[in-house]
Amino acid sequence: MIRLENVTKSYSADVVAVRDASFDVAKGEFVFLVGPSGSGKSTLLRMLNRQDRPERGAVWVAGRNIVDMPPGRVPHLRRNIGNIFQDYKLLLEKSVFENVAFAQEVIGRPPHVIKQQVPAVLELVGLAGKEDRLPSQLSGGEQQRVSVARAFVNRPLILLADEPTGNLDPATGEGIMRLLDRINKTGTTVVMATHDQRIVNTMRKRVIQLDRGVIVRDQARGVYE
Amino acid sequence: MLARLRYTLRETFDSFRRNATLTLAAVITAAISLLGVGLTLLSQHAFDNLLARWEGGVEMIVFMNPTATSDQLQLVEDALTAQSQFIAESTYCDEQCSLTEADRIFAGEPGVRDLLNEENILTQYKTVPTDETDVETLRLVSDAFSELPGVYDVSFAEDQISLISQLQSFFGFRLLMLSVFLLLAAILLIWNTIRTAIFARRREIEVMKLVGATDWFIRIPFMLEGLLHGVIGGALASVGLWAWNTQWTNGVQSFPDNSGFSALVVVDGYDKTVMLIMFVIGALAGAIGSGIAASRFLDV
Repeated sequence: MIRLENVTKSYSADVVAVRDASFDVAKGEFVFLVGPSGSGKSTLLRMLNRQDRPERGAVWVAGRNIVDMPPGRVPHLRRNIGNIFQDYKLLLEKSVFENVAFAQEVIGRPPHVIKQQVPAVLELVGLAGKEDRLPSQLSGGEQQRVSVARAFVNRPLILLADEPTGNLDPATGEGIMRLLDRINKTGTTVVMATHDQRIVNTMRKRVIQLDRGVIVRDQARGVYE
Repeated sequence: MLARLRYTLRETFDSFRRNATLTLAAVITAAISLLGVGLTLLSQHAFDNLLARWEGGVEMIVFMNPTATSDQLQLVEDALTAQSQFIAESTYCDEQCSLTEADRIFAGEPGVRDLLNEENILTQYKTVPTDETDVETLRLVSDAFSELPGVYDVSFAEDQISLISQLQSFFGFRLLMLSVFLLLAAILLIWNTIRTAIFARRREIEVMKLVGATDWFIRIPFMLEGLLHGVIGGALASVGLWAWNTQWTNGVQSFPDNSGFSALVVVDGYDKTVMLIMFVIGALAGAIGSGIAASRFLDV
């Protein structure tokens, strides 16, 4: 599903975010990217949905090298990738329903499909009955659930999560992780950047560890070290 | 398709609402500049009325008495033909032709125009000289025409149109320059309004991009917004132009006879054409301003 071949990305001559990174992620896999702040986790995720491009190397997603993908094809790539962020990136003046529907609306899904799929996904993430609330009327955990619903509503092949539990208390974070695990079990590949030791150690999924842009460990059913 | 259209319209009007002050400024500037363009076109057309009888390179007109007989007309025609080394072309403007011309010349004085009819209108021989720069020679040969029976008067373009032409080019050029600068200001203001709207919605745009919206899908509501700025500006300018033209036309009718302003009005429907032109220019200005902004600032 995902393959990185000798990928290097730097933001300036002095700052190399990712250095010569290579790994494969199979369809349906759940992978943690771990490492301290500034180790290159977020940069790797940004390269997977073509928000960033590496200077060297190839990034394969769903069988296509996306490094040289024409800009006009990038939106079609992103329709197969869901994104979850630490700060949720919800639209504050839209309701829960509208935030999730927005992801379908902008890719041209017809209204009857939206009306059918949005409530279903809100039920999946445990937000049934809260469709009309604004993000400001929700707790942090609920806001992150809206974010997960928005990322998943188009049934993407891949879900990229950048510190999704970073702003949440441990109990709420665990709820989000259970949700991501459920989504992963539907066949969606999940790549999650985190430095939450407890979550990584509990889940026992594959762990790719980065240190100053270099992959220093790639371990199946790993733990945080 | 319908869903996309609904989305585009909703986003466009939401942006209007959120950006109300800047939108108002952009629309007013567009309206004022377009009104400037419209008034320039209208005043040029009004000046053209004054010059109506001199169109087509006519430099000398021999006016015939309404009572002139066909023999007298023939005599003048023969005399004009005899001067073929100085006169390249001469055309007879009969009663109907002269009355049609009077419609434009006395556009602002319908009372005077109503007094004219086929019985009392002066018919004309309009002449184009072989050398348009040598009007003096034409003036010399004209003496022969003044003496002919049935001739009422001989007029020269040089005497009548030089001041009008000077006024026309003086006002036309300056008004046009002013309008161009104002139009440029309107485009820049629309550009800035759209840029601000994009900035205000950067979070939304970021999410749209991440979930796979195409650049065009994101761009179109902004472009439509700018287009509407221009079109609404055009509509306001049209209302302003109509009010101005109506006031001016009514005003000229109350001026004393022979005030010299009777032809300086537009009553032949040309104002509708100008309004259409203003709409088109407004829409283009809006589309250009917003198109550039939406293309340039979409990377948020």
